[in-house]
Amino acid sequence: MHWTLLLLTLPALAEVSFNRDIRPIMADTCFRCHGPDKSSRMADLRLDIREEALKPNKAGVAPIVPGEPAKSAIVQRVFASDARIMPPKFAHKDLTGTQKQTIRQWVAEGAKYEEHWSYLPVPPRNPAARNSVDTFIQARLAREKLRPSPEAGLRTLARRASLDLTGLPPSTEQLNAFLNDKTPNAYEKYVEKLLASPAYAEKQTLHWLDAVRYADTAGFHGDNPFPIWPYRDYVLRSFRDNKPFDQFTREQLAGDLLPNATEEQKVASAFNRLSRMSAEGGLQPKEYLAKYAADRVRTVSATWLGSTLGCAECHDHKFDPFASKDFYSMKAFFADILETGLVPDRGAKAWGAQMDLPTADQQRRREQLSWQLSEARREFDAEAQILHGADEQWEKETLKRNEAGEFKWQLQRPLSAESVNGARLRIYNDQPIETNYYVGATLMTDRTPGNGLVVAEGPNPDNETYIVRIQPGAGVWTALGVEVVQDESLPSHRLARGSDRLVVTEVEAELDGRKTAFVMATASLTFPSADLHPSMAIDGNPKTGWGVSDPGNNNSLFLALRFSEPLKTEAGATLTIRLRHDSDDRRATIGRFRLALSSARYSWPDQKLTGLSPAVLAALKVSEEKRTEPQRRALAEYYAFSNSHLQSQAVRIARLEAELGLLEATIPRVVITKSTVPAETRVLPRGNWMDGSGAIVDPAIPGFLGKLSTDRQATRLDLAEWLTSRDNPLTARVFVNRLWRQFFGAGLSKVLDDLGSQGEMPTHPELLDWLAAEFMRNWDVKHVIRTIVTSHTYRQSSDPVPSLVERDPDNRLLARQSRLRVEAETVRDIALAVSGLLKPRFGGPSVRPYQPEGYLGALNFPKREYSASRGDDLYRRGLYTFWQRTFLLPSMQVFDAPSREECTVNRSSSDTPLQALTLLNDPIFVEAARGLAQNMIQSGGATLAQRIGWAFHRAVSRAPSVEERKALTDLYSTNLARYKADEAAARELISAGEAPPLSSASPAELAATTTVARAILNMHETITRN
Amino acid sequence: MRPSHGIEIHRRTFLDRGIAGLGLLGLNSLLGAERWRGVVNPPHLKPRAKRVIFLYQAGGPSHLETFDFKPKLAEMHGKPMPESMTKGQQIAQLQGRPLVCFGPQHSFKTYGQSGQQICDLFPHIGGIADELCIVRSMHTEQINHDPAHTLMNTGSIITGRPSMGSWLLYGLGADTEDLPGFVVLTSAGKGGQMQPIAARQWSAGILPSRFQGVKLNSIGDPVLHIQNPPGISKDIQRDSIDAVNRLNRAQHGVLKDPEILTRVAQYEMAFRMQASVPGLVDMSDEPKHVLEAYGAQPGDGSFASNCLLARRLAERGVRFIQLYHRDWDHHGAVKQNVALKAQEVDQPTAALIRDLKQRGMLEDTLVVWGGEFGRTPMSQGGDGRDHHIKGFSFLLAGGGIKGGMSHGATDDLGYAAVEDAVSVNDFHATLLYLLGIDHERLSVKFQGLDVRLTGIAGRVVRDILS
Repeated sequence: MHWTLLLLTLPALAEVSFNRDIRPIMADTCFRCHGPDKSSRMADLRLDIREEALKPNKAGVAPIVPGEPAKSAIVQRVFASDARIMPPKFAHKDLTGTQKQTIRQWVAEGAKYEEHWSYLPVPPRNPAARNSVDTFIQARLAREKLRPSPEAGLRTLARRASLDLTGLPPSTEQLNAFLNDKTPNAYEKYVEKLLASPAYAEKQTLHWLDAVRYADTAGFHGDNPFPIWPYRDYVLRSFRDNKPFDQFTREQLAGDLLPNATEEQKVASAFNRLSRMSAEGGLQPKEYLAKYAADRVRTVSATWLGSTLGCAECHDHKFDPFASKDFYSMKAFFADILETGLVPDRGAKAWGAQMDLPTADQQRRREQLSWQLSEARREFDAEAQILHGADEQWEKETLKRNEAGEFKWQLQRPLSAESVNGARLRIYNDQPIETNYYVGATLMTDRTPGNGLVVAEGPNPDNETYIVRIQPGAGVWTALGVEVVQDESLPSHRLARGSDRLVVTEVEAELDGRKTAFVMATASLTFPSADLHPSMAIDGNPKTGWGVSDPGNNNSLFLALRFSEPLKTEAGATLTIRLRHDSDDRRATIGRFRLALSSARYSWPDQKLTGLSPAVLAALKVSEEKRTEPQRRALAEYYAFSNSHLQSQAVRIARLEAELGLLEATIPRVVITKSTVPAETRVLPRGNWMDGSGAIVDPAIPGFLGKLSTDRQATRLDLAEWLTSRDNPLTARVFVNRLWRQFFGAGLSKVLDDLGSQGEMPTHPELLDWLAAEFMRNWDVKHVIRTIVTSHTYRQSSDPVPSLVERDPDNRLLARQSRLRVEAETVRDIALAVSGLLKPRFGGPSVRPYQPEGYLGALNFPKREYSASRGDDLYRRGLYTFWQRTFLLPSMQVFDAPSREECTVNRSSSDTPLQALTLLNDPIFVEAARGLAQNMIQSGGATLAQRIGWAFHRAVSRAPSVEERKALTDLYSTNLARYKADEAAARELISAGEAPPLSSASPAELAATTTVARAILNMHETITRN
Repeated sequence: MRPSHGIEIHRRTFLDRGIAGLGLLGLNSLLGAERWRGVVNPPHLKPRAKRVIFLYQAGGPSHLETFDFKPKLAEMHGKPMPESMTKGQQIAQLQGRPLVCFGPQHSFKTYGQSGQQICDLFPHIGGIADELCIVRSMHTEQINHDPAHTLMNTGSIITGRPSMGSWLLYGLGADTEDLPGFVVLTSAGKGGQMQPIAARQWSAGILPSRFQGVKLNSIGDPVLHIQNPPGISKDIQRDSIDAVNRLNRAQHGVLKDPEILTRVAQYEMAFRMQASVPGLVDMSDEPKHVLEAYGAQPGDGSFASNCLLARRLAERGVRFIQLYHRDWDHHGAVKQNVALKAQEVDQPTAALIRDLKQRGMLEDTLVVWGGEFGRTPMSQGGDGRDHHIKGFSFLLAGGGIKGGMSHGATDDLGYAAVEDAVSVNDFHATLLYLLGIDHERLSVKFQGLDVRLTGIAGRVVRDILS
C-alpha cells in the first residue's frame, strides 16, 4: 500500500511488473474471492494462477486475454460503472484510477505473471563490490535523481553505532578514544569493539526474545513464574559467541534430538516451551493442546519463514499458497513434545519436563549434603524404631495426656505489641474482629473476639520487627508457637503484607531481660518451601528465615519453636518475643498472628492448636497391626520428635535439610523439551478442536516449498535443517530483513513477519537478496551486521532535509539515516548508564525493578504482591527485568515493549503523555537524576556551566548550545532558591532510591542539580538515536 | 510499521484533498501533537450514543439467578439433564461428572410497566426495568475465563487484537485533552471468587499503543506516576517541564524534526493530566445524597465508588469506560454468592443509570452490564454452577437502546440461546452501530487481513434499537 503511494510521486514506469505493481492490488482486492482459498472462491474464478485466469468460463468469456485489454473480463469489470463493477461495492475496496490503468497496461503488455518474490530461490551471491549495500542503495537513488546525504558528524555516528549495536550510549572514554583516533579505519575499529562487547549480545538477545516470545511467566490465568531464564542466557551466549544461525536454529528447535545432546543444547530446546501455558481448573485439555501447538506454528512461521501460516489454521490461506493441511503438517513436527493441556503451576509436577543446572561446586555440595542427610535420617529412624519398640508405655501415656489436654497450645494475650520500623500493631483480646478466610474455595467471614490476635496495619516498611510482650503466669514451658492467621485483606497469599511470600527471619524470646535460646523448629504445610525451612527462624542468620511461598489450602500457618531448656516462669514474669523480618524480600511481613505456649514435651505445630496431629491420634486409637503405613510413619516421627534422646539428631537433620534447601534454591532450573511417541495430528476442520474427523497428517514442510527427502517420519531436527538449508528461500531473507530494521527503522520489506503477498515488495529487492546470500554463506550474524553498519548508507546524516522529507517522508529510499526512538529497555539503560547507576552483569536470574504498589492486584492464584530486588539487581539492564506477561513492568509497557504473549518482530513506537509521566516521575528515573546530579557535582567540574556541559555530554555525546545551557542554568537558579527556602523538600528529593545522598554538597544544591539532571534525562534527544 | 496503517488512511485523505507540504509531518505528528479525532470522521452512520460505560461482571454471572427465570428448571431440579442437550457440547469443570439439573436458587418478580422478569436479589435494577433492554440470548465460544474475556473484549481469541475500547478511541477519538480516552477500573468483591484479569483485556493490540486503555487505580497513584516525586512541588514540576520543552524546542530549531514537537505536546498533556486527575478522583464535591444513592464511600475501591467515578469520567469526555467487578465465578454456593454480589452491584448499577438520566446523559451514553459467559443449569458439587457458553444474559440501557424490553430467549432449562441468539460479534456490531460506526468499515490491515472488531461476522441487533 505504501508502495503505491510512493509510486504516485515517481515517473510512470516503462513496463508494469506483476510482483511490484499488480500483486499488491490483487492481493488487496481480488484474492479474497478469487484466490487460493477454495472455500471462499466465487464464480469458480482464480486470479492468482495465470493458467486459471486465462481459462474462458462456460459462457466463453476469458477473465484475461493477454495483450487484449478490451477483451479481458477483468479490465471490463474494474472499469464498469454499473453493478458489474469489481470489486463489488459491498467490499468497500474501490480501486483508484491509477490502479485501474495499471491493470489495463499490464494486460496490454501480455499479463505476465511472476512467482512471488520471496519464494524464488535466493540468487547466488555476487562478490562484486566490497560493500554492496551502498551500490544497491545508491543505484536506486540515482534512478530517483537523489543523492545520499553526507556522513554524519563523528559524535552522532559514535552514539548511533553504540546505541544500535549495544543498546547503550558511548561512555565518555569510548567516545573520546574514537574522536582521537585519526587513522582511516577508526570507525571500523570502533565498530569492532562494540561488536566484541557483551552488550552487543544483550542488544541482539532483546530482539530475539521478542520473536520467540520469551517471558518469565506462564501468561494464562494465574500467570505464575516458570523456570526459564537459563534459556535467555543461552541466547546471550549464542550471540556473544556469534554462533552460526543454522546451529542456533537447530539447537532451539531440536537441541534435545541432537546426537549426544549437550547440556547447552538441551537448554536451547526450552524454545519449544515458550508458549503460554494454563493451569486453570476446568480447561479442556485438547483445546489447550491445540492452542499451544498453533502458537508454536505461528511463532516458527513468523520468526523463520516470515509467513502467516497461522492464517491456515481454519482454512486454506486466502492470499498465499499455504493450504490448511500445511498448518497441521507443520504442527505435526512438534507432536513428539511431551506436554499436557493443563500445565500445573505448583507442586511436584509443576511446569513439566525440566532440568537442573548446578555448577560443579553446587553438584558436589548437593551430593555431599544429600548423603549426609540420608545417613542422618537412617540412623535417626533406626534408633527411633528401637526406642519406640521398647516403649509400649509411651503410647498409652500419650493418649491419656491428650485426653487431659496436655499437648494443647495455650494462646497468649499480649500485654503490648509494637514495631521497630513504623507498622501499627493492634491487639485484639476480647474485642471482636472480622476475619475473612478460605475453607477450600469458599470465603468465610467470622466476627469473633480476637483472643490474642495481633494485627499489623498502617505503614508498611520493607523490613520490620514486631516486639510482643506476654505474661504467661506461673508454669514450665517447652515451646513457643506462632500462629499466622490468614485474612482476605492481606495482599500476599492473604498472609503477608507484601512480596510474593512470607519470611520470618528470626524469632527471639527474652524472659525478664534474659535471652532464651531455641533448639528446634517445626511447622506443618502442604507445600513446604525448601529454602524457608523452619529451623532458619532460629539459626541466627538475619537473611534466612521460615515462611511460605505457597500455603496451599491452609488458612493459617503454625510455627513451633522448642526452648533449649524448659522455661520456668513465675506469676507476673514477662516474656518478650521478637519476630524479625529482615530478608531481602520486601514486606514479606506477617499480617496477623497469635502467640501460644506449650508445656508438653512435644506439641505438634497444628493450626487447630490441639498439639497432636490427627494422623498420630488416629494411629494411637487402633492396635498396632491395624495401622496403615502413613500412620506408622507419622507415629514414629512423632515419637522421635518427642523423645529427648533423639533431639540432637533431629536438630542435625533439620540443619542439613535447611542447608540443602538453601542450596537447591540457588541451583538454576529450566524447562526443556522432552521427546516422546508423537501424538496423532489431524487436520481440524475450521480449526475446531472438537472435530476429530479431519485427515491424519505427517510432519511436512509447506507443500509449495518442496518436500523433505526422508523415508522415515520427519522430526523437528529435519525441520530445523530445512529451515536453514539452501532449498529454503525464506529464512535468510526474513532474518536479514529484520536486522535491517534495527539499523534503519524499517525493513527493506516493511512487514517483517509477512514476506507473503500481503506483505510488501522490498524497496531494494536485489539488496535484500544480496544480504541474504551473504548471510547464507556461513550464517554469520555479525558479518551481516558489520556489513550494514560500515556502509555509507548507515553512516550518513539523519538530518531531515526538508526537500528529502517531502520527497520520501518515510525514508524508504534511504537518502538519509532515520531518527528513531530507542526501545523501552534502552530508555531505561540510557538513564542508568548516564547516571552511573547501571550495574553490568552478563546473564543470571531475572531481576525486579521498582514497581508501583498494587500493580499486580488484578492477579490471583496466588494473590500476590511484588518485591523489588535489592542492591545491584535494581540497576540491571532492561533485558534482565522480570517479564510478567499479563502485567508487564509499567515502564516497559509504556515504551511499547511487547507482552510477549505472541511472537512480535515489529515493535511499534508511540509517543504518549504516559511516557512523559514515566520519565519524569517513575522512581527509577528520579533516582537516576539524583545519581547523575551527584556525579555532576563530584566529577563534572567546579562550576555549574561545567557540570551542565559534563552531564549533557554523557547523555547525548555533545556539548549544549548557548540556549540549552541557559535553559538549564535558569532551571537551576530558580530551583536552588526554592530548595534553600524549603530544605525539607530538598531532602525528600535527594533521598530517592537506595544509596545515601552525597554529603559533600548542601541538600539545596544537590536537589537543584537533580532537577537539572532530570531535565537532561527527559530530553527528546536523550531517548532518540539520531 | 504496521500500526501506522490508520495514519496512512489519514494521510491519503490529506493527499487526496491536495494539501501540500504534509510530507513534512512525520507519523507521530499526525498521531500525537493534536487531539486525535478518529478515522471515522465523519461517522458512517448517525450516532445514537457518544460514549460507553461497560459494567463488566467478571467471572461469569449466573443468568439463572439474575435475569433469566426458568420455572421448568426448578421442576427438573435433581433430575438428569437431557442428554440430547448436552451431548458433544463443551464443558469445563464438570468434565466426566453426571449432569444434574439445578433449579434457580432465588425467586423472580416482574418489574416496571414493561413487566420485565428480574431476580428478587436485584430490586434497584428492577426499579429501572423500564430503562433496560435485557438480552437473554447471549452466547460465546470460550469456556475458560482468560480466553472468554479476550473474546468479549476483542472479538477474537487471537492475542494482539485491539479491545473494543481501543477500537472506539481509534475510530472516534475522545472529547478530552486532559484524560485518557479509554479508562479501566477494577473492583474486588467480598466473595473471594476472584479470577485474574490480564492487562491484555484493555490492550490496543495491533493499533498504536496510544489507543490502549489506562487503568485507574484505587491504591496509590490513580494513574501510574501521576503524582510528582517526593520533593518536587507543582511549581518545580511546571518549570521542569518548561525547561524540557525549551530544550526540545531548541533542538527543533536546529533540526526542524516534527517528532520533537510531538514530544513537546506530550509533556504538555502530561502536565494537564497531572492537574486534572486529582480533581477527577476527589469526590468531595459530590453531595451526600449522591454518595448515598450509589452507596459509595470515596476511596474504598468498591464497585459503587467506581460507578460514581464512571459518571465523572463520562462527564469529562472519556469515550469508553470499563469497570470490572471481579467475583462472579460461583462454582460453589451459588445461592449465597450471587446474593452477596447483588448487594455489591444492584444499587450502584441502578444509581448510575438514574444519575445519568437525571443529568440528561443517558440518552447519549450506552450502559452495558454483563460478563464473559453464564453458568450451567446443571449443578456443580450440589450447590454451584460451572462455566456456560451456550446462553447467558446482558443488560443494555441508554443511548439508542429501546428500554423496557427483553430480547431473545434460552430454552426452558436455560441451557442454550434458542430465540434471536446474539453472539459476541453481534454485540460488538451493535455497539459500534450505536456509536455511528459500520463494523464492516472500521478495520486495520494486519497480515493481509482487514482486521475488524467483529472478525468476519457480526450483525447489528436491530430489534433492540430505539
